Amino acid sequence: MSVTTNETVNRSEESGPAPVEKPQRRGFFAAGQYIPYSLLLPAVVVLVGVLAYPLFSLINLSFKNVNRYAYLANPGLSKYIGFDGYTKILGDSQFWEVVLRSIYFTAELVILSMVLGMLIALLLNRVSNWVRVTIITVLMFVWAIPALVNGQVFRWLFTSNGGVVDYLAYLVTGDESWKHYDWFADPTVGLYVVGAAVIIWGALPFLVLGLYAALTQVPKELTEAAKLDGANAFQTFRHVTIPVIRPFLMISAALSFIWDFQVFTQIFTLRNTSPEPDYWTIGVYLYEKGVVASKYSDSAVISIAMILLMLAVLVYYIRQMLKIGANER
Amino acid sequence: MTTSTQQAAPVVTPSAPKKVKKARETGRSPVMTWFWNIVGLGIAVVMAFPIYWMIITTFKTNKDLISQDPTFWPSSFSFESYKTIFDDSLFLPSLWNTLYLTLGSVVLGLVVGFLAAVAVARFKFRGRNFFIVTMLVVQMVPLLAIIIPLFVVMNGAGMTGTIFGVVLAYLVFTVPYVIWTLRSFIVNIPAELDEAAMVDGCTQWGAFFRVILPLTLPGLITTGVYSWIQAWNEFIVANTLMSTSGQKTSMIWLTFYSTTPTRGADYGAQMAGGLLVSLPVIILFVFFQKKVSAGLTAGAVKG
Repeated sequence: MSVTTNETVNRSEESGPAPVEKPQRRGFFAAGQYIPYSLLLPAVVVLVGVLAYPLFSLINLSFKNVNRYAYLANPGLSKYIGFDGYTKILGDSQFWEVVLRSIYFTAELVILSMVLGMLIALLLNRVSNWVRVTIITVLMFVWAIPALVNGQVFRWLFTSNGGVVDYLAYLVTGDESWKHYDWFADPTVGLYVVGAAVIIWGALPFLVLGLYAALTQVPKELTEAAKLDGANAFQTFRHVTIPVIRPFLMISAALSFIWDFQVFTQIFTLRNTSPEPDYWTIGVYLYEKGVVASKYSDSAVISIAMILLMLAVLVYYIRQMLKIGANER
Repeated sequence: MTTSTQQAAPVVTPSAPKKVKKARETGRSPVMTWFWNIVGLGIAVVMAFPIYWMIITTFKTNKDLISQDPTFWPSSFSFESYKTIFDDSLFLPSLWNTLYLTLGSVVLGLVVGFLAAVAVARFKFRGRNFFIVTMLVVQMVPLLAIIIPLFVVMNGAGMTGTIFGVVLAYLVFTVPYVIWTLRSFIVNIPAELDEAAMVDGCTQWGAFFRVILPLTLPGLITTGVYSWIQAWNEFIVANTLMSTSGQKTSMIWLTFYSTTPTRGADYGAQMAGGLLVSLPVIILFVFFQKKVSAGLTAGAVKG
């Protein structure tokens, strides 16, 4: 059954020192020189087809002047226009408005969801067992609701005609005018309050459960030692807890940024599939230009801009994951 | 990956803190615990309220629904909203579409990903590390950024408007995740195990089905559940690719249900639709709670 090749077996670390030049492949996969490549083939074909080639044509499109008409009805009209597409988008004041709005909105979301997530995770360490179970159960259900349904539910909660949030505000303040307060009339309120509420509500389960799991990894001896040395609760948190959970903290902050920056679904459904321009973050802008208005080349430029804006965080996140992966191997 | 923290956590908790509870840590009086309990319950109520409101809305009568002062408990229960949904001629067909789509992308994603995961976990070959890193990078490409070129490519291949085209598109996010996750499962199966099975008389396929497959089963379930949730909840890609044929998935149906003039204000039906569409995912969460949270944390998915 053993075929002599110069391939080596990849073994797990625990089974002793890895044999460096073992002239046999062992176990189930003993036969055939090209087995690894043929096993990889389907995955490679699929990913080239639906990812690499589209990415290539994304760049290709960005140098053309393609829209739905030039693409479907009259392909002869599409031609390469070099960087004209880029100068057009970058010279558009709406683009910069959208980018700025996305940055503000993302900053708000990341900071609020991380802080709230951390506070609730710390709270979970303080409460009785049954309260903890209750909170975690609720969080699991929140997690299970699709983002699209989140948007719908919040549109209903905040509707100006019979919406429960308006009614609650009336019950608390006793002011009748709250009953017909339109949360979406002012886009600043609509986006930075209601939009943020949906997204943070949906993001909290992941963050809280993750941070809570990270907090349980903090050795009790360390916090107790800090207390004995006279540190107060905040100092213990700042100088003992934070450094220990730092890796997860950084990764989840990076992930929150990556998700929140390209957020689309929640805003789209919150505004009933046609968000007004003042609600456009970069994800929505991309959809409106590319899918609704069918300006394929313009949206390709926007896509590339979006990826470039996220690049620093993306690279950071990938490097962190590789570090963890390398330790695991 | 982050899985390790998730999996390690339950191991730590059961034995140790029980004793600590009895001794009670310094600075934690029962009064404070009660204070924090109340705060915690308050947070639970706030977090649960949107779900409660969604569910309660589906049972409300029309009179309750259009009332300016919403009631926190329906004055009488009515199943009218559910009837409206099931009477909608597009609801069931779109649900079937979603089901085919989801099953297709889960099965195809697992098969393709599993094969590749075996290759990277069990073989050393040129380009292996490059492939692993690529899988991680690929997971981070924003799907939204490639929908237009994806549409153009699929259209060129004549696959827009078909369910199969969308299944293929979903492999973008399932395959890299499956490879990345299953790799660590397979790496931990010692080669001696399947060797031993073959010494004992198993054929190669026998060793595969009796040793390797059962040992990777937990990983397959985790990744399968992850792929299911992703495919079921996906909206933008399906909407863009299917737009040419008028076929709908549940998520597309739900999104545009509220835009029709007759249904725009019927929040009872909208909430019932939303609840019914989310139900398969909610059930998965309830059944595979641990696996879901570990898998989603590892795959970094927000609900």
